[in-house]
Amino acid sequence: MSNSVISVISRFLEEYSSSTPNKLKVVDAYLLYILLTGALQFLYCLLVGTFPFNSFLSGFISCVGSFILAVCLRIQINPQNKGEFLSISPERAFADFLFAHTVLHLVVMNFIG
Amino acid sequence: MFSLLALAGAQGLTPAHHLSLPDVARLQSLLSQQFTDLESAYYSVLGLTKLGAAVSDHKQVCRFIKSQLDPTSIDSVFFAAEASQAISGCEIPVSNETRDILLAAVSEDSTMTQIHRAVSALSSLGLPVASQEVVGALTARINKEDNVMAITSALQTAARLSKQAELGGILEEIEDLTARLDDLGGIYLQFEEGLEATAMFVTAAYSLSDHVDMEPPLKEDQVIQLVNSIFSKKSWDSLAEAFSVASAAAALSNNRFHVPVFVSAQGPATVSHSQPTLQLLVTDVMSQPLASANVLVESAYAVASKSIILNQAPFTLNDGVFELNFMSKQPASGYYQFTIAVTGDSRLVANHVELKVKVSTEVAVANMDLSVVDKDQSIGTKTTRVDYPSKAKSSFTADSHQNFAMSFQLVDVNTGVELTPHQTFVRLHNQKTGQEVVFVAEPDSKNLYKFELDTAERKSEFDSISGTYSLYLIVGDATLENPILWNVADVVLKFVDEEAPATIQAKTLYVPKPEIQHLFREPEKKPPTVVSNTFTALVMSPFLLLLILWFKLGANISNFSFSPSTILFHVGHAAMLGLMYVYWTHLNMFQTLKYLAIIGGVTFLAGNRMLAQKAVKRYVS
Repeated sequence: MSNSVISVISRFLEEYSSSTPNKLKVVDAYLLYILLTGALQFLYCLLVGTFPFNSFLSGFISCVGSFILAVCLRIQINPQNKGEFLSISPERAFADFLFAHTVLHLVVMNFIG
Repeated sequence: MFSLLALAGAQGLTPAHHLSLPDVARLQSLLSQQFTDLESAYYSVLGLTKLGAAVSDHKQVCRFIKSQLDPTSIDSVFFAAEASQAISGCEIPVSNETRDILLAAVSEDSTMTQIHRAVSALSSLGLPVASQEVVGALTARINKEDNVMAITSALQTAARLSKQAELGGILEEIEDLTARLDDLGGIYLQFEEGLEATAMFVTAAYSLSDHVDMEPPLKEDQVIQLVNSIFSKKSWDSLAEAFSVASAAAALSNNRFHVPVFVSAQGPATVSHSQPTLQLLVTDVMSQPLASANVLVESAYAVASKSIILNQAPFTLNDGVFELNFMSKQPASGYYQFTIAVTGDSRLVANHVELKVKVSTEVAVANMDLSVVDKDQSIGTKTTRVDYPSKAKSSFTADSHQNFAMSFQLVDVNTGVELTPHQTFVRLHNQKTGQEVVFVAEPDSKNLYKFELDTAERKSEFDSISGTYSLYLIVGDATLENPILWNVADVVLKFVDEEAPATIQAKTLYVPKPEIQHLFREPEKKPPTVVSNTFTALVMSPFLLLLILWFKLGANISNFSFSPSTILFHVGHAAMLGLMYVYWTHLNMFQTLKYLAIIGGVTFLAGNRMLAQKAVKRYVS
């Protein structure tokens, strides 16, 4: 059983590194970073406690929100999805990404305390 | 002032307010002030005349009036004419011109005030007045000026006209105005325009009613309510107001139809052996005595037993005061309800009054016997008699095996009847510690008072403190003229289980209490700084990973074009991030949004340009 899992994973990794364009890999690295940051924050909360709760929420929501927006960006600039986003150019996707981030950070900063 | 009770139903209302003699004096002094112009002279002179007071120095007043007179002004002529009529030997010369001005004012184009003043001036000066014309003008004006003061002026004007004129229409206005009065709680009846309007209305209504000899359509209760409204105010704001009150007082004490009566007791309504007569003052609203009246008690009954003690007993007039020797009927002490009727004049209003009279007496303590009784009654009691007001020669001792007993009677000094006053207390006062205990002495069925002190039973009241206690008897009641506080004897009480006599502490109610320290909200427990710092570093670490990954992937900024829009975009974006930090540290949402709008706008435009250029480049390549 574990054999097949390992083989699936290695196959996946191989496919990923070969067929994914560089741009998307850059975004994926960013996604990984955001994920780790959020996970570490959650770990702190579990270990040490929720004080101050508003700061924890703000930080965690920042990570979650950033992750979601980055995923949206990735979907929109993926050339394989071009058919579904005919009216949205990669530049437009990036501009949306920046605008949404501005709003997110406004909220996060308000809540961070 | 002794206020009388109003009984609904059988009895009518009785006046709650009137002008007492001090009130009349105050009104007079207000009206006697030095006058500065004709109007105040008019109010002063006429007001004082109505109160029956003398106006000082008629000659000087006459000179003043003549000097201030303006023969071309209707108001001036009115004030002068009316004032000069009130003082003797003052004739105002009148020119034809003045007379013409006055006659010309009688038309429906003049105001009601002008018509009233012109007609009054003509009448006072003895000049002829065309009464029917005046009536026509008044009727027309009433339709145009529908307010209370105007119609009151119309009523007063009509009272100066010839009796042959048709005054019926104007007379009906009295009823209309009465309907406009506001009833306050069944006690007051007044116009919302105020005291002056109400008082002038009363004056005018009675003036016109007397003139045409027709009773005004005011019910007795309404008259009393008007009296209450007009005379409840005891200090007056203006000369005009004082004049209106004086006019109303004169009208209500001297008209052909309704004269309200004010009955009050002189001093407290109390009779006793030393003061056996009940004295009543029966006056009109201006505190002038009604000498021609007959006052009698219709019935009087005792409040406690409801037995009738007087029936149709007359008062005798003695030097302006009505007297009745009530004590001659030998009433028992207590309260009596009198119903008094004032007769002799058909005009009298509110002439049935209720009065509560107190009969007080003196009390004496008789047969005061003190004894110490053994509980098991093996030893005979030794009774000591003490006479008021002396004290028992020896003190009494009672310990836990004995009871201390006291019996006495309270009798009326004059009649010998046994009394049961409201307050009969026995007070024991410890001379050393200052402690006092009070008990109530109760009468038995034969009205013999008994008090027994069981030393063992009552030790808690005394805190078991043995010692010498002074015994006092306290007797009091509203109907007793001589309340008693009598130190009867000294009693030595011996208690079992005596605790160390604690000094009695005065009640510590008003002593500063212990201070309360305010506890501020404890800050929440924070984790140690080491832990926080460690995790901060840990959370920052993925960023390092990101940079490494990007480097490995070959992400670079080699395509960075130095066009102005690109630079502006990046600068703007950096500024926005900086603004976020500043927002966290210094600003509030509103300021941030303001700055964000500016920076964001610039960044947006630059970014738009930059991305468009990138897109073009991408399409070309």
